[in-house]
Amino acid sequence: MRLPKGLSKDHYGALMLLGLGAAVFAMGLGYRMGTLNRMGAGFIPVVLGALMVLVGVVLGVTAASPGQSEVAHPLPGDGIQKGPEWRGWLCILGGVVAFVVLGEHGGLLPATFTSVFVSAMGDRNNTLKGAAALGAILTLFCLIVFHYGLSLQLPLFQWV
Amino acid sequence: MHQTLMDLWYGFSVALQPGNFMWSVFGVLIGNLIGVLPGMGALTTISMLLPLTYVIAPVPAILMLAGIFYGSQYGGAIGAILLNLPSHPPHAVTCLDGYPMTRAGRGGAALGITMMASFFAASVGIIVMIFLSPLLVQIAFKFGPTEICSIMLLGLLAGATMSRGSPLKGVAMTIFGLLCGVVGTDVISGTTRYTFDLPELADGVELGALCMGLFGIADFLVSVNRTTVKPSDAKVSMKDMRPTRAEMKQAFWPMVRGTMVGTLFGAMPGTGPTITTFIAYALERKIAKDPSRFGKGAIEGVAAPEASAHSKTQVDFIPTLSLGIPGDAVMALILGALIIKGVQPGPQLITEHPDIFWGLVASFWIGNVLLVIMNVPMIGVWVRMLQVPYKYLYPAALFFICVGVYSTKNSLFDVGEVAVFGVLGAIFLSLDFPVSPIVLGFVLGPMLEENFRRAMLLSRGDLIVFLERPISAWFIGACGLLILAQVVAYARKLRLPPPRETAELVAE
Repeated sequence: MRLPKGLSKDHYGALMLLGLGAAVFAMGLGYRMGTLNRMGAGFIPVVLGALMVLVGVVLGVTAASPGQSEVAHPLPGDGIQKGPEWRGWLCILGGVVAFVVLGEHGGLLPATFTSVFVSAMGDRNNTLKGAAALGAILTLFCLIVFHYGLSLQLPLFQWV
Repeated sequence: MHQTLMDLWYGFSVALQPGNFMWSVFGVLIGNLIGVLPGMGALTTISMLLPLTYVIAPVPAILMLAGIFYGSQYGGAIGAILLNLPSHPPHAVTCLDGYPMTRAGRGGAALGITMMASFFAASVGIIVMIFLSPLLVQIAFKFGPTEICSIMLLGLLAGATMSRGSPLKGVAMTIFGLLCGVVGTDVISGTTRYTFDLPELADGVELGALCMGLFGIADFLVSVNRTTVKPSDAKVSMKDMRPTRAEMKQAFWPMVRGTMVGTLFGAMPGTGPTITTFIAYALERKIAKDPSRFGKGAIEGVAAPEASAHSKTQVDFIPTLSLGIPGDAVMALILGALIIKGVQPGPQLITEHPDIFWGLVASFWIGNVLLVIMNVPMIGVWVRMLQVPYKYLYPAALFFICVGVYSTKNSLFDVGEVAVFGVLGAIFLSLDFPVSPIVLGFVLGPMLEENFRRAMLLSRGDLIVFLERPISAWFIGACGLLILAQVVAYARKLRLPPPRETAELVAE
């Protein structure tokens, strides 16, 4: 991800923690707090939210400016230049969502084929034919192993 | 002593029951198989197969999970050595010297040494587990909610600060995990918390969905179109796996030292396996006569970290089972699976469920023997598995994740949770936040909250109780030391330019 100048990953991380912590804190106030002796449902979440804000503040203050943030010991694969990868992201999430939606309104087999096909298309090296073949193989596998073998509850086809 | 041997004998009789034995073999085999695949670590493998354990009895379930754990750990070493691809972070150090050995044509020997080191280390770890656990149980019976609370705090803090990357970010992710554990119905008051009026969330977040999102989908999102796995031209046959006599001699003491490091760290709750392997490696390099050999294919650099990883894996089961404090995310998953099965880990586990504890100990040995027997003839198969291209691998894995999570509760809602955690995990990863502390926090969260509230009830809301009770005070003191060490390390980093090499290794 290309980040604007002046803010490093750590700054963004700190902002994320601040937002998340504050939201948790605010929602937690809606539950009964109680006392330390007899804690209500809201006590722990409020404390955790506050802690998260605190960590966010410390992270923000100590964050290194961009370029300076060092990777202490790069693993193989670290530090590859990363641009947004919309096709991959959309296809992978689309694959999972397709499984949920088609599982509800289409049945196991359409859900399987579509989720595999859609997610496979996320890789730029996959062709339509290759993705379809992979989908077909896994659908067959799913039919034999999960439907007949493990008798998964989801019906093979359903129209709702 | 006599009693222990009798218990062990009983354990073997449990582990060798056909039903249990079969699941154990299945676990080792499938763990090894999936662990070899690029990008599939122990965590992914266990969370993918977690749903399967819901339908089988507790004893075979944990035997299978343990088998998957050490099977995939061994499998991961194969990828690290032959392809320079650590699918499980602890293997990152193995890459440093294992891959150069492959390039020098000694990849087979590196694998052979890994196998010996693993077996040796695992055996030592199991023996330590057999004799230390009953001792620990005696201490653990003195634990009340106060002590449990402070040791959990120590475990969480250690898990957060002693993993790879920034300790502060680790702490943040632990808190996030604890918060995920809060979602659902509060056991004490019955209030539903953070459910966003979704009835499906009343039972809380699904463990499998959380893990699959964070370690499966998030990983696909981060690495799609970005990982270029070069096809391995490594050809390893059974014959190559025999290290030469000189190599064996060279690797022997590093193996023993690595085992010691792993055993020591395994007994400490919260310390992850990654730091263990890094320390074992750093130690070898420090005491080596010629440190410049490291990174260029020194066999010590393979033997020591792999031995430490395996002895730690075994010893890690001690705090996990006897105290209910998992050492790392994988252990947290196994703990979660046990809790789902209705087995509450803790000091009473060994006496209440001797079949689980001693069966597990015995199955470790059986499993490790199986690993050795299996891996020698199957090395050719593993090498071919490494060639499976990522473009076929991840859509298939994605499908298994969906079906696996669905089958847990027959709920498509849970599959949706996977997508949510996938996106969250990808955001965290791209901002350099580690995701494994989330699992630790998530599994321990509900227990921590319950014990904390109970401790406060008993002490009438007095926080000083944590310092008044001696055992608890020790743990809190250790927590303080951990925080102090981090602050000192930060202050030192500000003052002088970062010292390179070993200091960095240890810092991770």
